Amino acid sequence: MTNIVVLVKQVPDTYSERKLTETDHTLDRESADAVLDEINERAVEEALKIKEAGEGEVTVLCVGPDRATDAIRKALSMGADKAVHVSDEALHGSDLVATSRVIAAAIGKLDSVDLVIAGNEASDGRGGAVPAVVAELLGLPQLTHAHHLAVEGSTVKVDRETADEGITHLEANLPALVSVTEKINEPRYPSFKGIMAAKKKPVETYTVADLGIDAGEVGLTNAWSAVQSASPKPPRQAGERVEDDGEGGTKIAEYLVGQKLV
Amino acid sequence: MIEWSETDELIRESIREFIDKEIRPRTDELESGQLPPYDIIRKLFASFGVGEIAREGFDQLIEHEKRKADTGSGAGGSAAGSGGGSGFTLAGQETMALIAISELAGVSLGILASAGVSLGLAAGTIMSKGTLEQKQRWVPELLTFDKVGAWAITEPEAGSDAFGGMTTTVRRDGDDYILTGHKTFITNGPYADTIVVYAKLDTGDGTPIRDRKVLAFVLDAGMDGLERSTPFKKMGLGSSPTGELSFDHVRLGRDRLLGETEGTAKDESADSGRESARANFTAERIGVAALSLGIINECHRLCVDYAASRTLWGQEIGRLQLIQAKLAEMEIARLNVQNMVFRTVEKLRAGTQPSLAEASAMKLYSSRAATEVAMEAVQLFGGNGYMTEYRVEQLARDAKGLMIYAGSNEVQTTHIAKGLLGR
Ligand SMILES: Cc1cc2nc3c(=O)[nH]c(=O)nc-3n(C[C@H](O)[C@H](O)[C@H](O)COP(=O)(O)OP(=O)(O)OC[C@H]3O[C@@H](n4cnc5c(N)ncnc54)[C@H](O)[C@@H]3O)c2cc1C
Repeated sequence: MTNIVVLVKQVPDTYSERKLTETDHTLDRESADAVLDEINERAVEEALKIKEAGEGEVTVLCVGPDRATDAIRKALSMGADKAVHVSDEALHGSDLVATSRVIAAAIGKLDSVDLVIAGNEASDGRGGAVPAVVAELLGLPQLTHAHHLAVEGSTVKVDRETADEGITHLEANLPALVSVTEKINEPRYPSFKGIMAAKKKPVETYTVADLGIDAGEVGLTNAWSAVQSASPKPPRQAGERVEDDGEGGTKIAEYLVGQKLV
Repeated sequence: MIEWSETDELIRESIREFIDKEIRPRTDELESGQLPPYDIIRKLFASFGVGEIAREGFDQLIEHEKRKADTGSGAGGSAAGSGGGSGFTLAGQETMALIAISELAGVSLGILASAGVSLGLAAGTIMSKGTLEQKQRWVPELLTFDKVGAWAITEPEAGSDAFGGMTTTVRRDGDDYILTGHKTFITNGPYADTIVVYAKLDTGDGTPIRDRKVLAFVLDAGMDGLERSTPFKKMGLGSSPTGELSFDHVRLGRDRLLGETEGTAKDESADSGRESARANFTAERIGVAALSLGIINECHRLCVDYAASRTLWGQEIGRLQLIQAKLAEMEIARLNVQNMVFRTVEKLRAGTQPSLAEASAMKLYSSRAATEVAMEAVQLFGGNGYMTEYRVEQLARDAKGLMIYAGSNEVQTTHIAKGLLGR
């Protein structure tokens, strides 16, 4: 029996234009469609595969505003068994350290967690540190950037892939935390039955107080970093055009070297 | 029913995700006929658990029939289905099916035509008219789409007058039948594995051909004497392969005769073949309303966006009254067709069905509305509308098909009138 917790986040759809609000430079959640982050769909998929191969229960954990219930519902439709939703006004603008604390505290509320699965980084903030911080706070081994994951008995095995280090094989005893990359799998679509069943699955909601965290430790005013200003992405520059008169390959190589890309 | 439920909307979202990932990127290949739709249909069924749901329903029906046979009411197991339509019930899942169908229709009507014929007509006919053994033999693989089904009634000389003009013939030969003839415009014909074929029985007693009994048989691909043509080129529904079938002395055992009975009726209009074909009409016509709704919804959505973004003379074209008139007509069509679909759902939930005349009226109105809306969408988009990239031209070509198949709209008119005048 493997009890798995999957960390999921609702993010603005990458297809819509994403903005920060004028007032406090936090994410403008109203300006874009909100969706379950695709990397989290992969995390849920991986958890479901482990569950389906043996026995277990998959709990999704989401820290986010009330409307994040849509993202939670999606994960439940895919087949997760239950959900924990931490929603609190006080959390608005929390940095990743505070968010990780809240996540760790919420995991602490669940009994006997064997495996925590997260995406390696969310597509909005892209800090990519939450999994590591959560593992540290919970004292769990962290196996990050997994593009392959297997649970064998009480051991978790992972192939870790990063641009700098290539592929490394990692193993740890459960309980452990794994973060997955885009290469890990192709997530399933919620089936008709899954969608119908999701309505009846339990979702527990907590405030930060329920988790024993003081509201003064989280939120925008208590963040370790602050955004001073934000400006929109500059328009794309016209590219450089190279006529291929037989020297095309060389010219491309020269260009790439000039840009320090190779 | 006045609105889609929250669950329906979630299903819509999920189907849209599938469409965006799996169908849109391959529209060109699909619509040109280069890529047959079957792998995508299989993936669709597997992804949403459609095959699984259908399979469970099938198992329950079969169990039910077995019990009935055991208690002696179904002599020899050659029992017909519960009657009234395709033999499947959507058991509370009507709206899920309808919303999925209409979403898909807005991007590829052909995929639905292919899936609908295989499941609704081929499997549906076997379910409602086959014996227990025949159902078990052919239906499960059709439900999961491991096999592709076709349903063949139309002939070069027999379309609207399908039964009367039919010349494809079976003759008895010992315990077997020998089938000879030709079918055309058969959806999935070029790739079909399991084919329901209608043919006239020639007993050699001099009965005029128009009055002969019509029987239905199930054929498998690869049988001696069965030929499938390559797909036709056509105006729309490019993602649905349509072709001809020919039968040159195909030998058929009695186990391939649907229901394993020629029927006892003296009255030709009540023989087993005619009856089994008619049983499909209502369900098929209701289906056309859902398909039309999908096309209307998609045109409506594309046009509202375009009217708000295309700028001429310093203003969006949506401010021009002639454009507003088009949008208003689209909205009216959307409301009317959606209301027809909702009413049908209510009827199904109440355990009844629209009458054939009512289903005919829905089919006629909704297919015409979809075609008009899609043609107006082309107009609203101007030159862009005429270009494939903007998608509305495909919807217009697809929609026109809805006015012709599943009974041409002129034939629908006659059925509506029959309902009104009592024949
Ligand atoms: C894309 C596509 C897929 C198809 N798939 C299948 C399939 O899978 N299986 C199958 O068996 N068939 C299939 N068909 C055939 C379809 O059912 C026939 O095309 C349809 O029934 C019309 O028959 P017809 O083409 O012979 O036209 P005809 O019957 O020749 O009609 C010619 C014209 O006369 C009109 N007309 C006919 N009768 C009357 C009347 N009584 N009063 C007034 N006007 C009348 C018609 O409406 C039409 O305008 C398909 C057709 C298409 C286009």
